[in-house]
Amino acid sequence: MSATGGDDQTLVQGVARGEPSALEALYRRHSPRLYALLLRMLGQGGDAEEILQESFVDVWKRAGEYRAARGAVEAWLITIARSRAIDRLRSRGARLRLVREREQQAPDGPVTPEPPDVHAHTRLRRALDALPAEQRRALELAYWDGLSQREISEQTGDPLGTVKTRVRLGLQRLADLLAG
Amino acid sequence: MLTEAPVTHAEFLEQVEAYALGALEPDQARAMAAHLAEGGPHPECEAALRRAQETVAALASDLPPVVPPARVWQAIAGSIGPAAEPTTGERRRRPLPGWVYGLAAAALLLLVLGFLRYQAVSSSEAMARAAQAQCARELADAHVDLLRKEDALKLLVESGTQMVSLARQPAAPPGQTATGVVLYNPRGRALLVGQRFPSDSTHDYELWVIRDGPPVAAGLIPSTPDGQVLTDFRPELLTSGRPGAFAISIEKKGGSTTGSPGTVILVGQLGPR
Repeated sequence: MSATGGDDQTLVQGVARGEPSALEALYRRHSPRLYALLLRMLGQGGDAEEILQESFVDVWKRAGEYRAARGAVEAWLITIARSRAIDRLRSRGARLRLVREREQQAPDGPVTPEPPDVHAHTRLRRALDALPAEQRRALELAYWDGLSQREISEQTGDPLGTVKTRVRLGLQRLADLLAG
Repeated sequence: MLTEAPVTHAEFLEQVEAYALGALEPDQARAMAAHLAEGGPHPECEAALRRAQETVAALASDLPPVVPPARVWQAIAGSIGPAAEPTTGERRRRPLPGWVYGLAAAALLLLVLGFLRYQAVSSSEAMARAAQAQCARELADAHVDLLRKEDALKLLVESGTQMVSLARQPAAPPGQTATGVVLYNPRGRALLVGQRFPSDSTHDYELWVIRDGPPVAAGLIPSTPDGQVLTDFRPELLTSGRPGAFAISIEKKGGSTTGSPGTVILVGQLGPR
């Protein structure tokens, strides 16, 4: 039976069985958000398209490895896409310099339509705003720029141990705030 | 500090947030992955990873979605094997600039809508030209998803595709003006391209595939604000041989509950190839 109309887990099961239609349904459902994320991380210029493509080919090959116990399908997809995007960022080199240059400029996100979920937007913004600034910055450097904790330490001049603590506490606090 | 040496539960839990963020060095990340893969189960570690990954995923939730260019899916379909690959397409990473597909998609709708209008209005050439002009105006206002149009275009130009005209049935209610064609390809795809399927809070339109026996339900038609539809017949019904006909019925909300069509409004016979 085709999985094209099912929930995410059913679709992943369909992909694992080798159903292209299930992969296409998964792509139609999640690619706009993943592409927005990749554009934000990698910028315009084709890398976001390539990584999106590679990520779904990866999903096609690895769907059988998906474990619901380790997270929702969307989180799994984001993990795959971000992992590839981080590899791409790290292969570019000179990232720290680019990050410094970019931080001196105004934020420049992709041109996109209105947010579809105002409540999620508000909830996330409030949660991020509630974090101590240094924790928020550590998370943002890791999330959007793909910096490792060591690179964040180099970027900010803070000791590595301090960065690790900020990353750990920041994400834990964020999880609490989003759940509350 | 984590190294490539095996990671303990305590070390995993200490670094799980950085792992989920992708903020570990590659050798550290490999050690974390190895911990989950070996000597399991690790329910506490998996639960912590789930929480961290879902929090990481939430960090992207305020990004407005951006629909990727159609060429991305085409490249994916070309990469995963013949089953998902257009039969006429080459395996190309970036087949054509996006604007080419947009233009071609517009041409598809113009073609199909023109065909429909031509059927509905007149067989005269002059009327057909007028209908085409009207279609062009309608096209300018159309809000059908570009990806779906491009997908339909691929199907239209694919080797073996037939265009099946749907004929209005006597049982159709007087005010019912829905019309359409089915793009059928023997590799197992049938796509309804239709218009004037108004959304209705009490009724649904249902697709049917007719082969040798009784009609088989093939899915509900999603309602759209402008009444234009591009929707697939259930693909699993198309893999066991060539259908004889396609039909569309009007059903109570949710579709037929009897397994048989209600009021059949459109039928199209699939001719020999």
